[in-house]
Amino acid sequence: MVIINRYKHANQLLVGFENFPYAEIHIFVLFFLYILTRNEVKSGGRSDLIPTIKFRHCSLLRNRRCAVAYLYDRLLRIRALRWEYGSVLPNALRFHMSAEEVEWFNHYKKSLATYMRSLGGDEGLDITQDMKPPKSLYIEVRCLKDYGEFEVDDGTSVLLKKNSQHFLPRWKCEQLVRQGVLEHVLS
Amino acid sequence: MFVSDFRKEFYEVVQSQRVLLFVASDVDALCACKILQALFQCDHVQYTLVPVSGWQELETAFLEHKEQFHYFVLINCGANVDLLDILQPDEEAVFFVCDTHRPVNVVNVYNEAQIKLLIKQDDDLEVPAYDDIFRDDEEEEAEEHSGSESDNGSEPSEKRTRLEEEVVAQTMKRRQRREWEARRRDILFDYEQYEYHGTSSAMVMFDLAWMMSKDLNDMLWWAIVGLTGQWVQDKITQMKYVTDVGILQRHVSRHNHRNEDEEHALSVDCTRISFEYDLRLALYQHWSLHDSLCNTCYTAARFKLWSVHGQKRLQEFLADVGLPLKQVKQKFQSMDISLKENLREMIEESANKFGMKDMRVQTFSIHFGFKHKFLASDVAFATMSLMESPEKDDSGTDNFIQALDSLSRSNLDKLYHGLELAKKQLRATQQTIASCLCTNLVISQGPFLYCSLMEGTPDIVLFSKPASLSLLSRHLLKSFVFSTKNRRCKLLPLVMAAPLSVEQGTVTVVGIPPETDSSDRKNFFGRAFEKAAEGTNSRTLHNHFDLSVIELKAEDRSKFLDALVSLLS
Repeated sequence: MVIINRYKHANQLLVGFENFPYAEIHIFVLFFLYILTRNEVKSGGRSDLIPTIKFRHCSLLRNRRCAVAYLYDRLLRIRALRWEYGSVLPNALRFHMSAEEVEWFNHYKKSLATYMRSLGGDEGLDITQDMKPPKSLYIEVRCLKDYGEFEVDDGTSVLLKKNSQHFLPRWKCEQLVRQGVLEHVLS
Repeated sequence: MFVSDFRKEFYEVVQSQRVLLFVASDVDALCACKILQALFQCDHVQYTLVPVSGWQELETAFLEHKEQFHYFVLINCGANVDLLDILQPDEEAVFFVCDTHRPVNVVNVYNEAQIKLLIKQDDDLEVPAYDDIFRDDEEEEAEEHSGSESDNGSEPSEKRTRLEEEVVAQTMKRRQRREWEARRRDILFDYEQYEYHGTSSAMVMFDLAWMMSKDLNDMLWWAIVGLTGQWVQDKITQMKYVTDVGILQRHVSRHNHRNEDEEHALSVDCTRISFEYDLRLALYQHWSLHDSLCNTCYTAARFKLWSVHGQKRLQEFLADVGLPLKQVKQKFQSMDISLKENLREMIEESANKFGMKDMRVQTFSIHFGFKHKFLASDVAFATMSLMESPEKDDSGTDNFIQALDSLSRSNLDKLYHGLELAKKQLRATQQTIASCLCTNLVISQGPFLYCSLMEGTPDIVLFSKPASLSLLSRHLLKSFVFSTKNRRCKLLPLVMAAPLSVEQGTVTVVGIPPETDSSDRKNFFGRAFEKAAEGTNSRTLHNHFDLSVIELKAEDRSKFLDALVSLLS
């Protein structure tokens, strides 16, 4: 019974999960076979099938471990997305996340924001900026693709066209550099 | 108007503003741009850099960016045309133009508010006086009107005499006006007839840096490369080159005097620039000596290397210097040290015997580390080749960015790549010249020589860009002067055509002034092309900043040439 309960739990983990149908099918098949064999053993008295049951049990446990590791890795990547892209994720990424993951992301966002507000006095401190110690206030960037207009501090904007170079304040460009629209030029 | 104090009227004005830089596609512009960028980065001036390669691109880029900027700096573009007319800017836009193209357009010179020229006035500019060209027309018209109104209210007899007097006065005025206008047309025609180049923009920018005491060895090197780029492309006279080298030499010794002192010498890794009186052979330290002798225009033309006799003379020359053929064909760096020791003097001596008096030329070289040593001309050739490389160029600006990067010391791989491209280019140039001369493709049309490259010529794709085609044309003219016996043909200018785009059926046409010893490099083809195109309604595109390079539809070629012949004879 305990074994069955454990497998029910793994099942629940997988139910909302469209991403690896093959593993899912594998586990279901194994589970099905396991049930059959167990019935055989119990009712049919075939105790020579017990090693088969043990083997299938181990396979099921390993599959569950792989599934959990995969889900955990996804979670870590989603956490890194917050640091890379900021609070609003592009639609392409959100399309690939499940509803629970989106919810988890929102929770993480909220807790990070609360933490940041609690630092540095009244206004809070944005720790997602300047992840590497900056060497200068302004950096030279080159535009790798056409981006369009980009607003600068004093309200005016800069037109980012391919292969144009700009000398802008570091904090404004960081997001775009991380997204790959601008490239930091070292001279 | 001309800016007299560059620091106050240019730099301090833009220091607190955001600036847009338009940079043309040539070596001198790139170097000037690098120096200006370094100054701006030092002072945290926010700027945007937009490369432009022609008038259309300049207009498009200006339209896109004009909402966002008030201050524009144009490097090596814009001085020789009426900028306000072409760009149609707003009232508050201010243009700083640092350009080597001469003559400077008179509107640009006399506009006080919007156009500031970063050009030294001690260059021989010869701008016509204001009164000779501009005139207040309003006063005249007012006088005429008041004259015609006042005679309505007077008596008939007086009216008649007054009318006669007035008619006489008006006729005199009109005649004066016509004379003035004819004189104006002549003055302007003389002024704008010949195109030439002035002091390198890179040197102007370096001067600005020096005035602000912000000059560095790196900036000095860029100024040197800019000047050498102008000389390699025959844009300035030998005299001017030597004068400017003298100016730069003073700066070089100021920055690099520590290297001469044995005790306090800097480490090998530091950048050192030194003055050299070195051989004129292109890229010889990165190539083999034999290749360099064969592919430098100076030696190839004088030895007449397109003929078998010429090849023999080259062998004799090498024997005279005392260099074994096997050594000479190796890479220069692997030549025996004993041969390299007095190489320059030995080659100069033998060159004098063979009729080449200017084998050595004043130039500069840069060293950093044990491996990296470059002459200024090496870097100039490499940058030119990178900028016009035939490799796939989607937006037209990739090559510019490559070339710009190659000027930084941290991008040596790009510089070496540029050197390889330069070698290919020089080889292709010499081979094309040899084939043109051997098949007599250079024909005399009367007032000028004409040569047209056919579509199937090998390496034709290398010569569709303006600077490469100009280089090829100049070298071809020099070689032709040495190959022909016809004394009259030696003094003729050259018009060269090469196919540009097969789908659109266009050719690039370049006009080169005649080759004489004391030539002042003044080129009249800009105006000549314009007039010929107008006269025959040929479909031409005068897109390049150098007005002597145009694009033409292949079908209109013959009538265009005919018009040119009749214009120039």
